[in-house]
Amino acid sequence: MTTQLIGSRADAVAAVFAPVLRLLEGWRHPLAAALAAGAGERSALLDPAVERLVTPALSDRSTLVVGAGFIAAPGLLGDVPLHLAWWLGKFNTLGAPPAEAQVRRLPAVEDPSSEDFHDYTFMEWWRVPAETRLPHLTGPYVDYLCTDDYTLTLTVPVTRGDELLGLLGADLYVREIEAALLPALTGAPGVLTLVNRSGRVILSTDPHRPSGVLLRNAAGSGATALPVEWGGTPLTLVAEA
Amino acid sequence: MPETIRARGAARAAVFAPLDGAGRAALVEQRLADAIILGVLPSGERLPSEAELARRFGVATVTAREALESLRDRGLVETRRGRGGGSFVQPVRDHRPLVDLRLRELSRVELRDMGVHYAALASAAAELAAERTTEDDVEGLSRLVASFDVSEEGAARRAESTFRLEVAALSQSARLVREHVRLQAEFGPLLWVGFREAVHRERALDHYRAVIGHLASGDRDGARGTTLAHIQEAVEALIDEKVAADRRGS
Repeated sequence: MTTQLIGSRADAVAAVFAPVLRLLEGWRHPLAAALAAGAGERSALLDPAVERLVTPALSDRSTLVVGAGFIAAPGLLGDVPLHLAWWLGKFNTLGAPPAEAQVRRLPAVEDPSSEDFHDYTFMEWWRVPAETRLPHLTGPYVDYLCTDDYTLTLTVPVTRGDELLGLLGADLYVREIEAALLPALTGAPGVLTLVNRSGRVILSTDPHRPSGVLLRNAAGSGATALPVEWGGTPLTLVAEA
Repeated sequence: MPETIRARGAARAAVFAPLDGAGRAALVEQRLADAIILGVLPSGERLPSEAELARRFGVATVTAREALESLRDRGLVETRRGRGGGSFVQPVRDHRPLVDLRLRELSRVELRDMGVHYAALASAAAELAAERTTEDDVEGLSRLVASFDVSEEGAARRAESTFRLEVAALSQSARLVREHVRLQAEFGPLLWVGFREAVHRERALDHYRAVIGHLASGDRDGARGTTLAHIQEAVEALIDEKVAADRRGS
């Protein structure tokens, strides 16, 4: 396949993630403004501001977003060390059967002495964008905290000058990304495989290459790898004959 | 009435017997009691509210309340009213009689079958994870294991459950992870009864490091075999505890 052809497919990939990225970027300024106006003093002040921003997208199926929210940088809030202001969409089945699911708050444990407390700063979706200050797509991974399913998580940094205030994020189901993206990639000659920066397969036009496996040394075997220009940390489209 | 027909009728009636409040409350109580007695829910931990427990277990609020009342009667939790209130796990002064009681109500066959079910699941997850683990994942797991403090048995049981869940997640299978969570909830604490011996806790740490080594080198057989052996050892330790409990009880 010509580089040009692969390039057009890479654009199709970018076009699936771009609306989610735009959505998060659209929340950045109102959120930074709320923080500047004192919402960072207490979690009880921050939460309604985040809820107002994120919940409309969670009832709107066209966004593919099944969970969204703001993750505070350690020490940002006056009353808690870490804070996850996260809402689950109507279509997110975590802890609720599909028929009963509503837009709802993720019950987060913020007492560091509790066994259910998770220090999210160890997690890829926090660690990488906090370090690179770029939007980052984590996964595919089994997220047993926020979706209980096979998930992609997009996180974007919210900053004031050099200071990281926190991250805005959105969860996507891998199965829904497959449905949205596969038609745009199939039909081309050869095999196209979208991999994340660790070489983990997000999806492939080869039906016998499952999501989640690692594509090792593909570039060395006559394959062409093209970066997907989507505005964040690298995603790669690998074309094989 | 011929005996067979009566027996069949009774068996059918049992199948379709309503899951009454009492039966479900007892199940909820047993889950929580296991976790408290074996230190998976440590002393001082605040349990979720009645409404939240009901939601998590998928039972009525009145059922959750009944389970909490039984736990209170047994002295395993204490409920405080008002601001900062809730149901708190009480320190268990003498675990042994409580664990003995639990072990005596289960047969060796049941205990072994739990082990088989869990070992099948955990070893399959480890095998899959071996071909799907990146260097980043290995680093994350190593950091996790380095943070484990197994000087106390409850902490060792919590560490075991965390490690197993993380490896399951690396299999990239959401179903395997959900099934892990379900089995851990059902009999996780009990399976690791053997952790009351420090030697078993130390061996577990060695085991985690060995599994990480297999994942790092993509050794599927190694990851599966080590996991199976570790869980089988736990089952034998559990059976030894059961034998000792039966002896003390007779």
